[in-house]
Amino acid sequence: MSLTIAIPKGRLGTQAIEIFKRAGLGECIDEKSRKLVFEDKKRNLKFILLKNSDVITYVENGVADIGISGKDMVMESGGDVFELYKMNIGKCKMSVAGIKGKKIFKDDTILKVATKFPETAKKYFRGRGQRIKTIKLNGSIELAPILGLSDVIVDLVETGNTLKANGLEVFEDMYQISAMIISNKISYKFKRKEIKEIIELIRREEENGKDN
Amino acid sequence: MRFLNIEDEMKYFQRMFLLRKEIENFLYNEGFMNIEPSIFEGYDEFISVNSRIDKKTTVKILDSNKDILILAPDITTGIINKFMPRWEYGLKLKIFYYGKTYKYNGTGIKENREMGVEILGEKNENTDQDTLNVANRILNKYSENYLIEIGSSKFLKGIISACSFKKEDYHNILDFLYSKNKQELREYLEKLPYKEPMRTLYNILELEGSYEEITYQLKDMYLNDLAREGLEELKAIDSCMKNITDKIIYDLSLVSELSYYDGIIFRGYIEGSNKAIIKGGRYDSFTEQYGYKVPAIGFTVELDELSKILYREDV
Repeated sequence: MSLTIAIPKGRLGTQAIEIFKRAGLGECIDEKSRKLVFEDKKRNLKFILLKNSDVITYVENGVADIGISGKDMVMESGGDVFELYKMNIGKCKMSVAGIKGKKIFKDDTILKVATKFPETAKKYFRGRGQRIKTIKLNGSIELAPILGLSDVIVDLVETGNTLKANGLEVFEDMYQISAMIISNKISYKFKRKEIKEIIELIRREEENGKDN
Repeated sequence: MRFLNIEDEMKYFQRMFLLRKEIENFLYNEGFMNIEPSIFEGYDEFISVNSRIDKKTTVKILDSNKDILILAPDITTGIINKFMPRWEYGLKLKIFYYGKTYKYNGTGIKENREMGVEILGEKNENTDQDTLNVANRILNKYSENYLIEIGSSKFLKGIISACSFKKEDYHNILDFLYSKNKQELREYLEKLPYKEPMRTLYNILELEGSYEEITYQLKDMYLNDLAREGLEELKAIDSCMKNITDKIIYDLSLVSELSYYDGIIFRGYIEGSNKAIIKGGRYDSFTEQYGYKVPAIGFTVELDELSKILYREDV
């Protein structure tokens, strides 16, 4: 039975492809070419390269059986997929950050939160009992508190250098993020053995990678 | 490119009509009686018995008494509401219905055509199997590549309630099961104070596959009476369904959106479709809130999805 695997383009995808290749999968993928579909005839696999935020859409709708997507995207989209395996790549934190030293907010005010992840932010702050207004941005989130658009930001933080360079600091870490292998729920029923086999190969490869 | 014209639309309606009639005839000949479901439900009543349903997706209406009603997101609840207050001891009902369910899906109200089967008041060693058999015959009629997935809410309840989680933990854990997120489930459990039943929960996502595979995995795991009862029910089913073993998979972490299930839960899938075609299970304890426990089992058939995959090559 053939499997279709959705891989995100960009840095995460490059890392993922490397691991897949080391595990003996997707030899056929050539990132430098402009092609978006690659077939591994020997293993009966089809790889499709997508924008990272689209991976979950393709998987949820069953066009791809499995895919690689950041946990941040999975949480934000609320997509109905299985989150089968947490990979060792794409690791960072989703955090609340703001202007250094300005950590106190009156509890009767509505906190203005600028973020790429409004749904995740809403869910998180609901759990904390803090009322918020989300402001959806698509980039340069760090600017929002500096220019007075928002009180805080919710964003992915890897090293914290970007925050520091802009006079911001992390107030609170919300979630650990990493790349996940996700699967379409129905594909998993029909192709469970094949899917588990792929995950096992990736898992083993990552374990070996750790030792070296 | 041409868009839907009247001719195509009529074709679609005729197919739906025939499909519906075909299944209705089959069920009627199997001894099921037809009823016509109501489309309104009380909002509070519905939410109180279906705690896992997403409240945002219900379609609310105000009636003149300012009571909040919803358009039925599920038909079984309404049938039980209708019959249970007047139930007579010893009564047995095998019913089927055709109806529509309503949910908000983000862009608007989604209408869904459903056919359903309920067996009320009967529970002997064959009832579960008979119900699965009817489901199996419907799937088998329309495709060779189908699967029936069976879980046990008794097993799951037995293990989870023995852990006596706080409400928040309970919901988070169900979410991990729902998304089969093994690593995060384990990390989460490791942070909680250890209780013995958590050993089984820790490995629950491995409990899928054939009945033999599951019993093999279950060796040395913690079990209690309720969990064992659930497994016994699956064992009985497995021994009766030997002729279609390749069509059956068990999944002991199967969580249903509707929380009233109490025994076996099952789903039917046809390859190529991105939705379950059949969904059902036993829900005895659901009837209990009306004063007495009446055995009840049933399932629904997603007609829209079924017709979509039957005729997809034409489109």
